[in-house]
Amino acid sequence: MRTRLIVRTLSEICVTLGALIILLVVYVLYWTSVRADRAMDGEIDHLQDRWATGTVSTGAEPPSRPRRHEPGASFSIMYIPRFGADWAKPVLEGTATGTLKKGLGHYARTARLGALGNFAVAGHRRTYGDPFKDFPQLRPGDAVVLTDGTTWFTYRVDRRPYRTLPTDTGVIDPVPRASGFRRPGRYLTLTTCEPEWGHSHRLITWAHLDATQSVAQGKPKALYS
Amino acid sequence: MYGWIWRHLPGNAWMRALISLVLVLAIVFVLFQYVFPWAEPLLPFNDVTVDQGMGGPR
Repeated sequence: MRTRLIVRTLSEICVTLGALIILLVVYVLYWTSVRADRAMDGEIDHLQDRWATGTVSTGAEPPSRPRRHEPGASFSIMYIPRFGADWAKPVLEGTATGTLKKGLGHYARTARLGALGNFAVAGHRRTYGDPFKDFPQLRPGDAVVLTDGTTWFTYRVDRRPYRTLPTDTGVIDPVPRASGFRRPGRYLTLTTCEPEWGHSHRLITWAHLDATQSVAQGKPKALYS
Repeated sequence: MYGWIWRHLPGNAWMRALISLVLVLAIVFVLFQYVFPWAEPLLPFNDVTVDQGMGGPR
């Protein structure tokens, strides 16, 4: 009788642990994305509402405003046609864990959008909406388009994704050494994790500012092709 | 364990089944709302930046 109780309790514990693990997998693979997609759509709606109500002045000289964004606040929407015509993600200030659950994160100590220097952005490759799932497919010439409500910024990717170590902070320098850029310019850096489900390395993409236009002139060509 | 819980629930079999269902849902809710959000950052999928441990924002 005693052995039977022990065996039964053990098997019940095993079943419980199995169920717990399945629930955790469901949470990580599915639920984080449901929550993140909802949060990202909310941020985009919020931005578009704010821009539509005209709290940002149109036609002002955009790249030289000294305004800093609040940590965790969204200030831009990014479009990457390579990832799909409907791929649009909000860019939030800072790269805190909680911020990256609601969108892409701008490294607060790097340049502002469109400004001289390096505008660096981090995003999840897997979980939390998988924003950078197709990161390795980026190729030279691909467009990375951003808007801050007044101006469209079209960046062009300069080389295939570059694999590096998590400690390689030089990749978000104003002129990253490994990028091939030699002179100061208006650059963009995207970072995500590598391998897809791991954290031993990072994947980096660099781009340079190719064109800007006011939102009054309509969407840039890169978003139509 | 489960047998013990079942024997200690009140009511007839239907009542016990209903209470069991509510208990299971409550446990799943607590897991998804509190336990997994705490445990998930311990997994490697959050490390997407290059300046962690540099005093930079994390």
